[in-house]
Amino acid sequence: MDDKSKQLLQRVIRRIPIQTLKATLEKWGRLTAAQQQSIDFTQSKRALTDTVIDICEENQLSMKHITELEMINVIDSPNQSMWHALQLIDPGDDAQTVEFIQFKKQFKSHLVELVRHVSIKIKKHTDEAIWIRIAWGDSYTRPNHMKPTYAVHHLQTPYVFVTTLTSKQKPLLSQALLLSTQYQTIKEANLSGRKLTAIRDLLMKQYQQMFPNSFPSLLTETKENVPDPHKVHEQAGTASTRGRLACETFGRGALPQIETTVYKLDTKYKDPTNQTMSERSRPFKCVVKFESKNLLESLRHCATSGIVSTPVAQLLSSIPKKGRNFFYVTDTDAASSSQRPASQV
Amino acid sequence: MDTVLSKGVFSHFGLLEVQARNRLIRPQQSSRVKELKAEVAALKIKREQLKAEIQTHKTLQKLRLSVDKQSIDKEVEEMEEEFADTELLKLMAKHSHIKDLIYAHHLLGGYNIIKTNNDKAVCVSLATAYEGFYLDTYNLEIDLRSVLRISHHNIPPFIPLNSLAEQSNIQTDVKAFLELLSLHLNAYAGRKQQLKLVKEQFKSVEVMESNTLCTLLVLMFTASTKRTPVLCTLDYSDHTKSLPTRVLFECEDSDLPNSPEWKEHCSLLMETPVHKALMILRNVGDII
Repeated sequence: MDDKSKQLLQRVIRRIPIQTLKATLEKWGRLTAAQQQSIDFTQSKRALTDTVIDICEENQLSMKHITELEMINVIDSPNQSMWHALQLIDPGDDAQTVEFIQFKKQFKSHLVELVRHVSIKIKKHTDEAIWIRIAWGDSYTRPNHMKPTYAVHHLQTPYVFVTTLTSKQKPLLSQALLLSTQYQTIKEANLSGRKLTAIRDLLMKQYQQMFPNSFPSLLTETKENVPDPHKVHEQAGTASTRGRLACETFGRGALPQIETTVYKLDTKYKDPTNQTMSERSRPFKCVVKFESKNLLESLRHCATSGIVSTPVAQLLSSIPKKGRNFFYVTDTDAASSSQRPASQV
Repeated sequence: MDTVLSKGVFSHFGLLEVQARNRLIRPQQSSRVKELKAEVAALKIKREQLKAEIQTHKTLQKLRLSVDKQSIDKEVEEMEEEFADTELLKLMAKHSHIKDLIYAHHLLGGYNIIKTNNDKAVCVSLATAYEGFYLDTYNLEIDLRSVLRISHHNIPPFIPLNSLAEQSNIQTDVKAFLELLSLHLNAYAGRKQQLKLVKEQFKSVEVMESNTLCTLLVLMFTASTKRTPVLCTLDYSDHTKSLPTRVLFECEDSDLPNSPEWKEHCSLLMETPVHKALMILRNVGDII
């Protein structure tokens, strides 16, 4: 086993938490049962790493096998990297009938055509997701396995989720994806986050949405089960309308765990009480960032409790409706209202 | 007599003639007057009738409005003091209301549709069902502006909503678009359900490959003759149908797929849903 492989193996094992290490190694299947049994999982991580490296050397495993292990780890716990969403636009006529084997062959051949030295691994997960691991090299260097790019795609959907991708690698990957999925263009979906499941559920609308024709009684059921006849809830009507509008905008039940959203403002400062700032001709640039463990639930709660006025403003409702969490806001016309730089989103 | 003597006899004769003529005409005039009077009376009656009809229509409309708002009983109480026949009027109001509802439902193609957002949008509900069981319900919110636009929906991304909208010309014919979408969704739900049933009911059949849109299914089962594994590929290239358009058998023993019984199985799989076809094959004893 060469140095690079050892390095990668060290890094992979370091990333896997001890609780799941045993199961992951079993899933990998490159160690014999006897070897598995011989590993003492109560050791320190360092000692464990050394033990595993020794066993792998014994079995003469190569880089290829170690990348397998890395891929298994990433598929099982994808929330360790930062994912970005890309959107495919303008499907060709055959886009709906692309199937896995065809996609795999085409993607591999196109990418190898574009980048001479590249190592590609494609795997299909049980939930019909295609996982692609790419180690980039170029005409002179061998593929660099320490900085791989992972891409996840569901066939027949227009979304691709990617991890670390440099500006040089992006057009190459885009080209290969477009050719193998039969779409015409690819663009940024302006959605990124650590939790792959969250951004995927948001884009593919896999959470429970609520529509105006859902039975309204379902909302009130969750509140007090037995209304006290001696109590009259003064604002029951407005409260239930707020709750309904909030659920219609954000959804019902558990929401995808989006963690941040960023608004980049490039608008004219408008405040009648502050002459100096309003008089500046140049637009006022600022960045507003919201962070939360579950941003959508917090926003929904804000709307239900009345902190945010309902119907929910477009800037906030765009997060679930358009499925993005990065917005670049500019003025559409000179006469926008004060303090609310709503417009070009 | 003086006038007769002063004017002459002929002029007197003329006067007498005129008088006699007048006596003849007068009875006609009075009958004419009688006629006109009769006409006036008839018109008055008609006027009363029309007034009564207008009044009935007005109350009917009021009742209709209240039926629409579903507060008919209060209105009826108000009416009862004024008019008799309120029961009849109530029924007539309800009847016309229901007729209008049925017509509206027919116009929309029978989908559950409600108005929203201060009447600026509609929300359509599309239910899917397969073999008598209701499956998922999908919702669409369509903005009713000069250009119809789908603002909010929970249709999965692998159903090509935009291209279906363009294909069926949503701007001019919403019903056609909803029908096409409903076809696609029901076919998808049917295929998904078939796959689920195959997985549940046939443990010996292995699903080698499938995709999210359920348009490709590759199964592996064991033929009872010589216990050879057979790979069966089902291609559903028509996305509006839940039956495959192509069935392919692959086997190590290349004679097997060409044998007449397996060719029959081929056509069986093309005509019956997968889970039923597999049940038949298992009962006949051709697969394990």
